[in-house]
Amino acid sequence: MTDTPATTDADNVDEAPDALTEYAAGFAERYDAEGFTVEFDTIRVFVDRSRWVETIVAAREELPFFSWLSAIDWSATTEVGEGVDDPDTLEERFEVLCRLSSVENADAVNFVTTIPKDDAVIDSLAPHIGGAAWHEREAHEMFGIGFTGNDNLAPLYLPDDFIGNPLLKSFPLIAREVKPWPGDVDVEPMPAKEEADEGGES
Amino acid sequence: MHRSETAVSVELQTPDMTLNIGPQHPSTHGVLRLIAKVDGERVREVEPVIGYMHRGYEKISEVRTYAQITALVNRIDWVSGFANEVPFILGVEKLMGIEAPERAQWIRLILSELARISSHLVFMSSYPLELGATTPLMHTLREREHILELIEDVTGGRFHPNFNRVGGVKPNYGGGSTTKKQSMDLPAGFFERTAAAMDRMESICDDLDLLVTGNEFIKMRTVGVGVIPGDKAIEYGLSGPNLRASGVAYDLRKADSYLTYDQVDFDVVTRPDGDCYDRYVVRQDEIRESVKIIRQAIDKIPSGPLQAKVPRILKAPKGQVYTRAENPKGEFGYYIVSEGGKMPYRLKIRSTSFSNLTILPWVLQDQLVPDLVAILGSLDFVLGDVDR
Repeated sequence: MTDTPATTDADNVDEAPDALTEYAAGFAERYDAEGFTVEFDTIRVFVDRSRWVETIVAAREELPFFSWLSAIDWSATTEVGEGVDDPDTLEERFEVLCRLSSVENADAVNFVTTIPKDDAVIDSLAPHIGGAAWHEREAHEMFGIGFTGNDNLAPLYLPDDFIGNPLLKSFPLIAREVKPWPGDVDVEPMPAKEEADEGGES
Repeated sequence: MHRSETAVSVELQTPDMTLNIGPQHPSTHGVLRLIAKVDGERVREVEPVIGYMHRGYEKISEVRTYAQITALVNRIDWVSGFANEVPFILGVEKLMGIEAPERAQWIRLILSELARISSHLVFMSSYPLELGATTPLMHTLREREHILELIEDVTGGRFHPNFNRVGGVKPNYGGGSTTKKQSMDLPAGFFERTAAAMDRMESICDDLDLLVTGNEFIKMRTVGVGVIPGDKAIEYGLSGPNLRASGVAYDLRKADSYLTYDQVDFDVVTRPDGDCYDRYVVRQDEIRESVKIIRQAIDKIPSGPLQAKVPRILKAPKGQVYTRAENPKGEFGYYIVSEGGKMPYRLKIRSTSFSNLTILPWVLQDQLVPDLVAILGSLDFVLGDVDR
C-alpha cells in the first residue's frame, strides 16, 4: 500500500488513499476486473465468477502470498445480529473473498466475486493454490458454498452429522434463543442525551 | 511395528497401516488428531482432523458490540493474548476514525513484544521436550513466568489481558471513582522491572544456545527434517517465524508498519533452510530482537494520556476493513464488515495457526514416523487459534 503507517496523522489521511487508489486502479486494469473500491486502506477488486480462478492465479505473479479465503452472506432476513440498513433493496447473494498479498511490501488486494444463492457454486482454487483447500472446506461448511474441483469438502470443524451452515444469517444462534444473554443490557439504547456524539470517558 | 526399514522392502508388499495420533497426545498442544497412513516407518499420507475446540467466534461476534469482542479475541490464541487484540482494535479504530494517543501506542507495542517473548518461550520449552530434552523446559517456563508477571502488573491478567480499548488502553486498575478524573498510568517501577527482565532474557538466550541450539542430539533430530521451501510456504499462507525460517524476510512490523514499529530499530530474522532447526533458531533470535525493541521503547515512550476521546456509544460507519498484525506466530488479521451498527455484520478472523497448519498434509508426506512429532511441533501452533 503506502509507506504511511497504519495509524496515520489527521493531516496525511488525505494523501494515503490517493496512492492506494492509484495502485488499486492500476491493478484492476491490469487484470481486467469489473471494478474496485478503496475504503479504510482496504482494496477490494471485483471479478466475475467465471474469471475467479484465472484472475487470482495470474495475480499471484505479483502478489504471491495466499492470505485467506472466506465469504459474506448478504441477507435481508437476519436471525442473528444487526441486519443491513435497507433490507428491501438488498440483493440476496454470497460474496466470496480471497486475499493475496506481497511478501516484500504492504501491497495486498482482496478479490471479491458475487455468486447467487440459488446457484452457490464457484470454481476451486485448491488445485492451483494448496493453501486454499482448507479455507474452501471452511466456507463450504459454514455457508454451503460449493467449490468445483476441490475433492475434499468434508466438514472441517463441525461433526459429520451436523445439519445446517452456521454462518448463514438465517441460522439462529440457539444458545441465544434458549437463554437471553445477560450482557444484553449493554447493547440496549442509552438515554437520548448520551446518544449524541459528545466526547466522554468510556 | 518397529521393524527396520529393510524388513519392509518392496518384495514383501506389506499393506499400509493406519496410525491414529491424538486427539489427545502430549505433542499436539491441544486437541488435534492425525490419521496417518504408514508404510513401515514411512508416512504415506496424513489427514489432520481439527475442530475439537471450535467455539464459533465468528458467529458470536455478530451479536456482540465492538467493545465486547475485544474480550473475546484475546482467547483465540491464549499463549499470546495481548497480540490478538491489537489488529482488531486497530481495525475498529480505523473504521471509526479514532486514533489512540502516542503513549498508548507505545504501551501496546511493549505488551505485544512481551507477548511475543512469552509465546516463543512456550515454544522453546515444549519443542525440546517433544524431542526428548527436558531441561530447557525448566529454564524457559521460569523466565516466562517473569514475563507474565509483567503483563499481569499492567493489565491485571496473565493470559487474557483485555487491556485494549477503542481509542487507547485501559487506565490503571483500582482507580476507583475518586481518582477517576486523575490521570492514571502504568504501575510504578514497571519500566525498571521490564528492563531488568530484558537483561535476564538475554542471558537465558545464551544459556539456551548451550543447551539446545548447539546440542548435537537436537541437531540430529531437526537439521534437514521437514524442509519447507520458501515458495511452498508462501503458497500455503505460512507466516511469521515459519515463513522466515524458509528464507522469506516478510515481517508485517516492517512491511506494513503499525503502532510505532517504524520508530524502533530491529532486524528481521531469517534462516535459509526451512527445516525444523531453523524454525527453532528463528524464534530464539526473535526473542533477542524483541528485547532490543522493548529497550528502545522504554527509552522513547512519551508521557501523555492513555485514552483518546471517544463517543459514549461506539458505532462504526458502513464499510469493510482488513487489519493485520505480526503476531508471535505470524499474520493475524480481522476482516470487519460493518453495516453501520454497534456490532459487526460479519467478522472474519484470519488466525495464524489455521493457515500455518494447512501445510501439514504436504509437509508430512513421505516423512519418517519418528520425524512426525518433530515436524508437527516445529510449526508452533495453538489449537484454539486453529479452531477459533
